Amino acid sequence: MSDTLLVSTRKGLFTVERDGEVGWRIAARAFLGDNVALALADPRDGSWYAVLDLGHFGNKLQRSSDRGATWNEIAVPAFAPGDEVITGDGKPPVPAKLRLIWSLEAGGASQPGRLWAGTIPGGLFRSDDSGASWQLVRTLWDVPERNQWFGGGFDQPGIHSICVDPRDARRMSVAISSGGVWRSDDDGASWRQDAHGMRAAYMPAERSRDPNVQDVHHMVQCTGSPDAFWAQHHNGIFRRVASQAEWTEIDNVPPSVFGFAVAVHPRDADTAWFVPATKDERRIPVDGKVVVARTRDGGRSFETLTRGLPQQDAYDLVYRHALAVDRSGDRLAFGSTTGGLWISGDGGNRWAQLDARLPPVYAVTFAG
Amino acid sequence: MARIILAPALARWLPGAPTGVSGEVALELHSDRLDHVLEALFARFPNLRGYVLDEHGEVRHHVAIFLDGNAITDKSRLDQPLRDGSEIYVMQALSGG
Repeated sequence: MSDTLLVSTRKGLFTVERDGEVGWRIAARAFLGDNVALALADPRDGSWYAVLDLGHFGNKLQRSSDRGATWNEIAVPAFAPGDEVITGDGKPPVPAKLRLIWSLEAGGASQPGRLWAGTIPGGLFRSDDSGASWQLVRTLWDVPERNQWFGGGFDQPGIHSICVDPRDARRMSVAISSGGVWRSDDDGASWRQDAHGMRAAYMPAERSRDPNVQDVHHMVQCTGSPDAFWAQHHNGIFRRVASQAEWTEIDNVPPSVFGFAVAVHPRDADTAWFVPATKDERRIPVDGKVVVARTRDGGRSFETLTRGLPQQDAYDLVYRHALAVDRSGDRLAFGSTTGGLWISGDGGNRWAQLDARLPPVYAVTFAG
Repeated sequence: MARIILAPALARWLPGAPTGVSGEVALELHSDRLDHVLEALFARFPNLRGYVLDEHGEVRHHVAIFLDGNAITDKSRLDQPLRDGSEIYVMQALSGG
């Protein structure tokens, strides 16, 4: 199991490490006071990356090759003059400028130096030099359907989920809020919409099944069964089990199908975790109780996991990147908007809260 | 000669920058235009460009540039003349805090 967790917060990046048999402690703090939106621990070379969303000075990327002891600033994705954000919800077109690096993933094992970054506005960027330079993937930016995407929560659409197929890194899927799921089988040379089967309750009835308007909150892929995906969507939970299949809606999730985060077991595609909340405009735990919903049978049934989680007057919301599972599938962690951080070593049966009052947590990820 | 001062909030992101007691960077540069001064500054601190300007070359929404006491208002027109002894302050706008 992984003993190191990177916790990205409104006020810095915290390295949380296992301390003895049961405890965890904050082992290091970086960028204290700065807004850290996301971190990546690259499994290929052990590099760490941190996305800084500086309120005045824009998004910055930092890279560490010594597990956070030192950091160096690298390049960020950039749009070109003439690139426009055109949305499907009636807003006037505006020049595309980088608002947020919303997702950052390593390429395949056979692609050293390859990184993918998804942004607000909805651009996918590729680097082949570990972030020293970035290129907009114009094949996706130029799909005509992009003009129908729109923001979910943010003013502009964004790419928050990037799944690279571990069998063949040329096959990848990205999820967009709100623009469905886009898939490439040829290393990004061509793309096709892949959100068929999803349902958008917030759209007029005649558009509700349009894959291009689906507000996916987060999408994950099972490492050991890469044709299996789970998605937490704005109005439901969806699952897909075969590469050509449509998504299937799962509607029996207690206490709610609303939420942002989802994690899937790295080998067992039938096991997934969610952190439900009260839909949609309230976004607080149902009845003030923080719970994790777990299925171990592909969504036919769910357990509501509560041991070690606050069950009274808790108003923690868990964002889309703030729930993670490690490579063993046994260790999980999630962090909340009110600075709670909970870690489990037994697949979610029991949780222990980190003894700290953290800033709002935006993302957690295991390192190694 | 123009004098340019970078606020501490900016200067702390510049590796090797000669910061003063209060954390700011103050430099004297020969130029008669604001954009030329900025380019000279970016040549010295390459990563600074992305902190002051966005990818289209406009001063960032939450960055303010004061030229001889007055904030520039057109953030896309930086070819403004300087006088000998002009003072330029580059700082974070309070609006972004």
